[in-house]
Amino acid sequence: MAEQLALTMRGLTKSYGKVRALQGLDLDVQRGEIFGFLGPNGAGKTTTIRCLLDTIRPDGGTARVLGLDPQRDPVAVHARTGYLPGELHLDDNMTGEGQLRYFNALRGGLASWAYVQALAEQLDLDLNRPIKNLSRGNKQKVGVIQAVMHRPELLILDEPTSGLDPLMQHVVLQLIRDAQAGGTTTFFSSHIMSEVEAVADRVGIIRDGRLVEVAAPQALAARALHRATVRFTEPVSLDALVSVEGVRVVSQDEETRVTLEIQGEMAPFIRALAPYPVRDLETARPSLEDVFLAYYGHTQG
Amino acid sequence: MVTPFRYTLRRMRGQIIGWGLGIALLGAVIIPFYSVFAESQAQFLAMLENYPPEFLAFFGDASDASAITTPRGFLQYYFFSMLPVLAGIFALSAGSRLLAQDEERGRMDLILAHPLSRTTLFFGRVLALVAASVAIVFIGWLGCAILLATSSMDVGVGELALAFLPVLAQILIYAALALLLSLLLPAYRYASMITGMLLAASYILSSLGKLHPSLNAIGDLMPYAYYQGAAAMSGLDWGSFLGLVGISAVFVVLAWWRFERRDIRVVGEGSWNLPLRLRKRAA
Repeated sequence: MAEQLALTMRGLTKSYGKVRALQGLDLDVQRGEIFGFLGPNGAGKTTTIRCLLDTIRPDGGTARVLGLDPQRDPVAVHARTGYLPGELHLDDNMTGEGQLRYFNALRGGLASWAYVQALAEQLDLDLNRPIKNLSRGNKQKVGVIQAVMHRPELLILDEPTSGLDPLMQHVVLQLIRDAQAGGTTTFFSSHIMSEVEAVADRVGIIRDGRLVEVAAPQALAARALHRATVRFTEPVSLDALVSVEGVRVVSQDEETRVTLEIQGEMAPFIRALAPYPVRDLETARPSLEDVFLAYYGHTQG
Repeated sequence: MVTPFRYTLRRMRGQIIGWGLGIALLGAVIIPFYSVFAESQAQFLAMLENYPPEFLAFFGDASDASAITTPRGFLQYYFFSMLPVLAGIFALSAGSRLLAQDEERGRMDLILAHPLSRTTLFFGRVLALVAASVAIVFIGWLGCAILLATSSMDVGVGELALAFLPVLAQILIYAALALLLSLLLPAYRYASMITGMLLAASYILSSLGKLHPSLNAIGDLMPYAYYQGAAAMSGLDWGSFLGLVGISAVFVVLAWWRFERRDIRVVGEGSWNLPLRLRKRAA
């Protein structure tokens, strides 16, 4: 079973002074899957990633990366991992090529330079330009290339599409899918719901340093709030509708038009709606963003 | 270890050339001046005798101003006495930035996510710093040696090399101290600042200690008290030289121990927030 897991975390804790960044994080990521790690700023996403890479040491709990303990065997973990930090800072005095050659040298020259050039072409990046003259998006492309150029078994990406235009976001997401086709596991953090929904096999939501939910994006969305807008032929009392468990009125624009939120199954709501003089009914499938906001809305709203 | 060594050395090449040529240039100003000085020694001596001993103490043996008339004395007064302070500026800057600058600029996180241990990175960079220090001293010596050949000074290039070795020891101890402090304090600028204060205090207290016995006890604790300068031309004090190198090695080992165990900071982390603001009283 353990061999099937690319990442394992059990009771991971980490504090920065009085701030408890991780409060007993438990999480498994299967080999070969794309796992999206969702959470707002300060939820503990980057702290988790930095514990996995041994750039910071957890106060308690255990972590295993590809079956290895990152604190005991960080070099072996790093050799099999590609990492893109959330805030990428490169050496401004180098060119893109110089920076990538340096990173490749740190990896013992494992990457094929032809592959690096192919990636640069795919991402429309000029490697001869000095880093200091590159835009944020182009620097991010250098970061993406260095993470994937040695074809690692595991990709750990902290907000990989940050600073990229929509076209390049699409290219990077395709790189993640291509890597998966080659057997690579991807663990990536994001707060862009659409990209997580587009590529992730499973999603984990972290809140205040604890994992609050893990599921496939579609399953999460199905479990979450639905939204329905109903137009009636005449003014009605909504008492019967709002008495259904999980139903609440979001807005009532006119006497005959109301928008409701339904938590969980739709069936009881539809049954309660049947006796009403309904002219029109629109329901919206909740996006992952709605799910995410629902999780945070409960504590922050 | 080769890649961090080579990369760090390449990053320091501007400093190596700048500081090395800077020392050589200082020699180029001082050494030709000796022939002018030799022609009017009597006037210079009369002038020096009028200087207060506290002033002369900063240039060498304050009790014997006439030592300046010899080539070694001349080089000590005008060149070697100040060299540890000048080269120390390179040392504290390079030592404090060696690892902490990449950390504070958010680059260390990604570097250490590559398959190299912290120990490999640390010693690769430290060796590059040592190599850079040796290169600076070598360029400085080479420039002065070339100029010596054209001057009337009776000083051999081998003797001159001996006088540069204590400068190297001074560079190493300040660089190692700055490196250690940069890994203990929240920002490398604090390490630079404290090492700079120690560099200045060392020069002042050790120099004045020659005149005031009350300052000797403190002065003897300072690295400059073990600096030979041009006196090394008559025979290097290996005890002082190896002592300073040994203390530098202890600082490096302590810095390595700290680097191995600490969390790597990312950009913006680790600043001190001094509690200078008064708390507002509740209305």
